[in-house]
Amino acid sequence: MNRYEMAGGMVLFLFGAITALLSLRMPIGTFRMAGAGLFPLCLGILLMVLSGIFLLRFLLKKWQSVKKEEFPSEIPGSAMQVLFFMGTMILATFFFKILGYPLVSFLLMVALLRILGMKQWPFNISLSLITAIASYFLFVQWLKIPLPKGWIGL
Amino acid sequence: MFESVQQLASGFTIATTFYNLFYCLIGAIVGTLIGVLPGIGPIAGIALLIPATFGLHPTSAIIMLAGIYYGAMYGGSTTSILLNVPGETASVITCIDGYQMAQKGRAGPALAICAIGSFIAGTIGLFGLVFLAPPLAEAALAFGPPEYFSLMVFGFIVLSNVTGTSLTKSLMMAIVGLIIGTIGLDPVTGDARFTFGSVSFLGGIEFVAVAIGLFGIAEVLTNVEKPLEMLEQRVIVPRLRELYPSLQDLKKSITPILRGTGIGFGVGLVPGPAPVIATYSSYMIERKISKHPEEFGKGAIEGVAGPESANNSASQSAFIPLFVLGIPFAPPTAILLGALLIHGVTPGPLLISQHPELFWGVIASMYIGNFILLILNLPFVPLFANILRIPKKILLPLIILFCITGQYTVNNSVFDIGIMLLFGALGFLMRKWAYEGAPLLLALVLGPRLEVAFRQSLMISHGDFGFFINRPISMVFLLATVLFLVIPLIRMTLKKQRRGEVKQ
Repeated sequence: MNRYEMAGGMVLFLFGAITALLSLRMPIGTFRMAGAGLFPLCLGILLMVLSGIFLLRFLLKKWQSVKKEEFPSEIPGSAMQVLFFMGTMILATFFFKILGYPLVSFLLMVALLRILGMKQWPFNISLSLITAIASYFLFVQWLKIPLPKGWIGL
Repeated sequence: MFESVQQLASGFTIATTFYNLFYCLIGAIVGTLIGVLPGIGPIAGIALLIPATFGLHPTSAIIMLAGIYYGAMYGGSTTSILLNVPGETASVITCIDGYQMAQKGRAGPALAICAIGSFIAGTIGLFGLVFLAPPLAEAALAFGPPEYFSLMVFGFIVLSNVTGTSLTKSLMMAIVGLIIGTIGLDPVTGDARFTFGSVSFLGGIEFVAVAIGLFGIAEVLTNVEKPLEMLEQRVIVPRLRELYPSLQDLKKSITPILRGTGIGFGVGLVPGPAPVIATYSSYMIERKISKHPEEFGKGAIEGVAGPESANNSASQSAFIPLFVLGIPFAPPTAILLGALLIHGVTPGPLLISQHPELFWGVIASMYIGNFILLILNLPFVPLFANILRIPKKILLPLIILFCITGQYTVNNSVFDIGIMLLFGALGFLMRKWAYEGAPLLLALVLGPRLEVAFRQSLMISHGDFGFFINRPISMVFLLATVLFLVIPLIRMTLKKQRRGEVKQ
């Protein structure tokens, strides 16, 4: 067990506690006639118990057999790549309806290819353009999927 | 039995219509591609293509999606042998001897034996399905809410026991899945739960978004984190004339193929990631009974033939609990359950009598699909191998674009894309922290049914929990569940005791 796993256990304990607390705001009822909150309340408590046991087992080991994995003080380059990748996808989702599918798919491809090291702009832009046009024809024209048109109106 | 044969014949009539043959072919090709391409497995693949089936008849839709599932099982072996990278988890074992064979210039026979073994396993598995499913469906008619509840609990425990490194962690993931499954309207009272006043949450969390996020986006992010130079690998592409195995290869492979088929079929019937367990068990058994166990790991053809047959057979028999009980025991069949529900078909004991065209049509199409894959896989192996040459820095953005587009088409909802990305990030962290995604997904799909079965049982019994034990079938499942929970604990205690004795 390492510290990352322990962090996961803590998050799960918190998730269980929040679930149990929010469930208490709903009608609980009785076992004979259960209300909306009873099942999630039981699940929240069960998750707290399990994650509690998990964390307790970790603490009982008193860091002895714990792998000495420290949380990095600086985010490594590869993790930055993941963050940029994720950020680009979030931005694409945010502008999906505003800019429209063809434009978002083109910009998304340009950005993701660039993040992954495609540094020659002409190749990057032409590949993104081909992908955007091909996916537009595949999904919008051929499969007739109503994807957002955005301000370019395509 | 005669009736089953008659029904199967009518299933072949349905499966051989032009449209169904076409969708079976499409499913097999797309499935093989999904299996070949590392970065997108059968779960995300099926989930992604569910929207493409919306306009289809339910039978054609399930024929195509089932084709993707077993096509991916075929395709997964290609990357294992040529690249030493399993296309999906069930092909991990194939890497051991398959890649060694490729290194010795025998990639062709390895791939051919995979295809032949998978075809034989698929054929035998089909007959098992035909003769086992109808009597099981009749037996399942005796199941009421407590039996279904106990069976689902049993499924979760077994799946949690066999996936991942820790039972506690897998169980926690299953509970998280169940909690996420409660978001939306209460199935009994209609009260809103965990919606925070948002209309978008009222319909619950879209399982397709969770599946694509946990298994598609997370896999891409894991690849993105690797250094760029690690993303590209050398591909060994065999020539067509090198594909034929020798007579000796065939002789060596036939008994492992038959054994693998038997193991796979049995494992597919119980909860858990059946193809993974089946391939592992088959490999271990082949190595144990081999006269030359030292050859295993150095390119033994038996180490490819057995596991690949077990893999295909297990994925086929995994359809039995899905169709007969309406309860999937593994994530890919959980996704197929979701697809069936989307198409208005509720699988369960009555599926065979209420939708015979779907049940028998899909079963017959599986056989046709196996035949298509045998024809497709051998001559087109060089082509599939060339697809692997597409650099990952091009492939990964394409997968992301496809994920976003596919997810939007499910409900025309940007909110669902957000959910998909959220679960993508969560899945990425879960991989880093060694938490399994499979129990979460299965619990999310089965959660609402589990809750309804639980509450209905308590309503019938006036709140008496003894009801679950008083019913014999339910009691058997609960006893089995307790055993599955207790046995690992006893084993662990015994191990600790032995260690203590050794130290003393």
